[in-house]
Amino acid sequence: MTYLESILKVLLVGLVLGAGLPAVFAAGLVAYSNGAGRTESDGSVHAPNPALKYFGILLFLFVAWVILTAVAWITRATLIHHFGFDPFPFMATK
Amino acid sequence: MSAETIILVLLIATALVFDFTNGFHDTGNAMATSIATGALKPKTAVLLAGVLNLVGAFLSVEVAVTVTTSVLKVQDSKSGHLLPNITPSMGLTIIFAGLIGGILWNLLTWLFGIPSSSSHALFGGLIGAGLAALGTAGVNWSGITSKVLIPAVAAPVIACLVAACGTWLVYRITRKVLQKRREEGFRWGQIATASLVALSHGTNDAQKTMGVIALALITTGHLTGDVKKDGLPFWIILSCALAIGFGTYIGGWRVIRTLGKGLVEIESPQGFAAEASSAAIILSSSAAGMALSTTHVATGSILGSGVGKPGAEVRWAVAGRMAVAWFITLPAAGLVGALSFWLSHGVKSLTGSDLAGDGLIFVILVALSFYMWWRAQQQKVDSKNVNADWDETTNSVVPAEVREATKVTKNKDTAAV
Repeated sequence: MTYLESILKVLLVGLVLGAGLPAVFAAGLVAYSNGAGRTESDGSVHAPNPALKYFGILLFLFVAWVILTAVAWITRATLIHHFGFDPFPFMATK
Repeated sequence: MSAETIILVLLIATALVFDFTNGFHDTGNAMATSIATGALKPKTAVLLAGVLNLVGAFLSVEVAVTVTTSVLKVQDSKSGHLLPNITPSMGLTIIFAGLIGGILWNLLTWLFGIPSSSSHALFGGLIGAGLAALGTAGVNWSGITSKVLIPAVAAPVIACLVAACGTWLVYRITRKVLQKRREEGFRWGQIATASLVALSHGTNDAQKTMGVIALALITTGHLTGDVKKDGLPFWIILSCALAIGFGTYIGGWRVIRTLGKGLVEIESPQGFAAEASSAAIILSSSAAGMALSTTHVATGSILGSGVGKPGAEVRWAVAGRMAVAWFITLPAAGLVGALSFWLSHGVKSLTGSDLAGDGLIFVILVALSFYMWWRAQQQKVDSKNVNADWDETTNSVVPAEVREATKVTKNKDTAAV
């Protein structure tokens, strides 16, 4: 049944992008937060760790890049039609 | 100006009104969670959503000229023209009646603060009108099953699953992060994902109205040539984009309230995961050619974010009421569509005037719409009370204090009499 195929496809992509990306974002948040350092309620201090902080930012940028790529993919036809710009020149057009 | 031109103008106006109701009905899909958690102020959220819907509508170049072919057998699936057995007069009335069914159902569900699918409302209206006009032969039953019914069941389930996974992952990964930082970080994430949903809604939904208007223009001979190749006249795209953008900005607060406060008491991480899930599913399904209802996806995601967070409160009674509304959307809108068609057809046969028939149902549409809008104003939900505590005793979208206030004024009036 082709609907089952489509449904499974959507579920898979949904899981990877819809649950996977938030997980990456969350990991970025953890890295950034640990990298920025903090003071616990009992007074102990965690030192800031710049490498970790920048890794966190890197993860955020990765998420942003995936989103921009996805939007460019969806609107590819419009971009070609109105601006003559193909964001994926290496991929065959439909 | 001929009668047909007047009918065409009324029809285009009605289509834009449908687009407008589609806008405010779906604002909540993108923004309800951000408004509920405070990631965005209510007015900022609806402005952002409005602009993104406008942009999204322009970004969609996929011309849905054959919008009715999924559910009816009145259009040729290649050229978009009406099939030869359908007169222009009947074709226009079917579209008109279909839009009326869609609009009235959208307004009724908005009044009760029930998120429901505008696409299904339109399809329901068209199916009802098609049945009334042509009987069962005019309806594309297999299309309805594969393009409307199956996606309707699949969408909320997929969305619930994805959002539940996302929410669980997000909470688990950030369990040691400082609460304040977590809230702040996810608030920013919410703004990004909510914007994505608003954008994808614009690309998806404005299409339907453009397709309906294109069909009407093709029918009356005002639009010729290969629409798929040349694209639609700019004024159609512009007017539909403005209608949906403006409708989104007006912000169906009643629906936003139910989605943001009524279903699940939402925190930032949940809101973030819910909208990310919605965005991913809406975009991937439209890329796969399987159009899903944005409302079904968004609602499923919000429920999933409640399920995915250990200890979260989900109001299944509210969800159940919504499910019932979803089940009856097609038949209810269909009934209104069928009644509208019969009324117009009846008057046309009696008076011999197309304008009398279509004009009458237009007037009735305006009257009923105004009545429902007026009822909503009596117990108003707006940007100021959209985040008020949910009334658990009645599960009504109207906050308890507004209900009490209107009761007091009513009693005062009768006492004076």
